[in-house]
Amino acid sequence: MIGLPHYLTASAALFTLGLLGVLTRRNAVNVLMGIELILNSANLNLVAFSRYGTGNLQGQLFAVFVVVIAAAEVAVALAIVLTLYRLRRTPNLDEADFLRG
Amino acid sequence: MQEVLRSLNRFWPEVVLTVGLLVVVLVDTIRVRGRDVANWLLTMATLAAAFVLTVRLGTQSTGLFEGMLALDPMGIFFKLLLIGSSLLVVGAFRFEGSRELRGLGQGEFYALMLAVTFSNLLLAAANDLAMLYLALEMVSITSYVMVAYLKGDRLSNEASLKYILFGAVSTGAMLYGLSLLYGMTGSTSLPVIRQVLAAGLTDANRLTVYVVALFVFAGFGFKTASVPFHFWCPDVYQGAPTPVTAFLSVAPKAAGFAIMLRFFFGGMAVEGTGAWDLAGTIDWPHVLMLVSVLTMTVGNVAALTQTNMKRLLAYSSIAHAGYIMMGVVALSENGARGMMVYLLAYVFMNLGAFLVVTLVHNQDGTFDLRDYPGLSRRAPLLTVAMAIFLLSLMGIPPLVGFMGKLYVFAAIIEKGSSYWWFAVVGAVNAAIAAFYYARILKTMIIDAGNEEKPAFRLPLADSAWIVLLILGNVVPLFLWRYVETLTRASLSLYAGR
Repeated sequence: MIGLPHYLTASAALFTLGLLGVLTRRNAVNVLMGIELILNSANLNLVAFSRYGTGNLQGQLFAVFVVVIAAAEVAVALAIVLTLYRLRRTPNLDEADFLRG
Repeated sequence: MQEVLRSLNRFWPEVVLTVGLLVVVLVDTIRVRGRDVANWLLTMATLAAAFVLTVRLGTQSTGLFEGMLALDPMGIFFKLLLIGSSLLVVGAFRFEGSRELRGLGQGEFYALMLAVTFSNLLLAAANDLAMLYLALEMVSITSYVMVAYLKGDRLSNEASLKYILFGAVSTGAMLYGLSLLYGMTGSTSLPVIRQVLAAGLTDANRLTVYVVALFVFAGFGFKTASVPFHFWCPDVYQGAPTPVTAFLSVAPKAAGFAIMLRFFFGGMAVEGTGAWDLAGTIDWPHVLMLVSVLTMTVGNVAALTQTNMKRLLAYSSIAHAGYIMMGVVALSENGARGMMVYLLAYVFMNLGAFLVVTLVHNQDGTFDLRDYPGLSRRAPLLTVAMAIFLLSLMGIPPLVGFMGKLYVFAAIIEKGSSYWWFAVVGAVNAAIAAFYYARILKTMIIDAGNEEKPAFRLPLADSAWIVLLILGNVVPLFLWRYVETLTRASLSLYAGR
C-alpha cells in the first residue's frame, strides 16, 4: 500500500536531485530543469499532504498556483537565456563573468 | 459574493494600480507623439491615487478575500512606504537626459513599475502561504524583467540571469518549506498555523518546524538580500539600469521585511508566552542575530574596496539590511517600530544617493569613483546633496538615518545585557561604514582632477527632485511627533482569518 511516507520520500529525492542539478550543471537550460524539479517536489508534497494528511483542498489549490508561477518563471528565464545567447553565443553559465569583484 | 464585494471595497489601491497598468499598456500601443509624457503623467497619477486611497483606509483591521490578505495598520504603513518609493523612483529618475535608458520604450517601464508596486502591496498584506508565495514570485519575476531592461547590454542580461537563477532556487527552497509547513499544520492560513503551533508540538515536530523555518527564510533572505542569500545583490545592482537598482534596493527590501514580520509575528509566534516566542522552545532570535551580524559585517567589509559606485552602494544596502534585521532580532514592538522608522529613512537616503550617481553618469558617463574628483567645484548642489545622503546613511545625528539607527539600537539594548555585545557589533559596523562613505566625500570634495571636463549642466527638474530628497532627509525631524504617532499606531497586526 502506497501512503504518505512514500510520497514524501519521493519528493525529498526530487528536491535533492533538483538542487544537485542546479549546483553542478554548466548549461543554463539544464539549471532551469533543476529548478523545475525543486518546484515539482514541493508540488508533490502539497498534493500528497492534501490527499493523505490534512483532509482539505488548500494544498491542491496551492499546487495549481505553483504550476502557473513555474511556467511564468521559466518563460522569463528562457527569454533572458536567449538574449544572452544572442550576445555571447554560449549558454554556459561559467562564461557569464563580466560582473565580479 | 458578499465577501468579495466587502473585500473589494477595501482593495481600491490595488484595483487602481491594475487599471492604471492596463491603461499604460494600451496608451503605449498607440503610436502618437507625446505618449511617453502621457504615460509618465498617467503613472504618477495612478500611484498618487493609490497613495491617497491607502491613506483613506485609515486604521481598519480585518481579513480580505476569505483570509487571503490582511488589512491592518502595519500593512497600511508598509503599503504607503511602497507606493511612496515607487512614486519617487518614477518621478526622480527621468528618462530625459538618461544615458542608460535613452531610446528605450518608456511605457513598458512604467507598466512594469506599476506591476511590481501592485505585487509589493500584495506581499506586504499576504496572510496565507499561497498568497505569500504568489506575491513573492510576482515581485521577483517583474524585477527580473526590469533588471534585463537594457536589451542589447551584456551586463544587464547577465545580471538578470544571475538574479533569476538565484531567485528561483531560493524561492524554490522556500516553497518546499511552505509545503512541509502546510503538511504539519493542515492549513495554509497564517493565523490557523499560529493556533496549531500554539497548541503544542511533539519533540520530533519541533525540529521539523525549525528546519522548515530555515527553508522559508531562504525566500525572505533573498528578497531582503541578507547573508547567505546576498550573492546576487552586487552583480544585479551593478548590471541593472540605475533607476531599477535604486528601486530594488528600497521597495522589494521593505516588502521583504514586511512579510518577514507578518510571517514570524502572525504565523509562528505563540500567544501567551510573549508575543514573539516561536513555537515554545526554539531559539529563533539567536539564528536571526547570527544572520544580522554576518549581513552587516559582510556588506560593510566588502564595500571598503569597491570603486564602482553602484557596486559600493549594493554592498552598503546589504549592510543596511543587517541593521534593519536588528529590529526582527529584538522580537519586540519597539523592534518592529525601529524597522519601520529605519525603512522610512532608508527610502530617502538611498534613493538620494542613487539619484546623485545617476545624474553624474548622465553628465560624465561614468560610475567609477575614480572619476569623481573635482565634482564639488563642477556641481556644488550635487556634492552638498551627496554629503547629506551619505551622512544620513552613516547615521550622523541631525539626519533621519540617525533616528533609524537610534530606534533599532535602543530596541536591542533594552533587551538586557545578554544582547549588548550585539549592539556593540552593530556600532563597530557603523564605524566601518563611516569610513567608506567618508572616502566618497573626500574624493568628491578634496581630491583634485577633472578640471578640463566641460561644465556640469544640471536640468532644473533634476535639481528640484534632489532638493525634495534632501528635504526628505531633514524635514521628518521637525515633524518627529507625527512620525512617532504614525509608527506607534501602525504596530498592530490582524490576527484573525
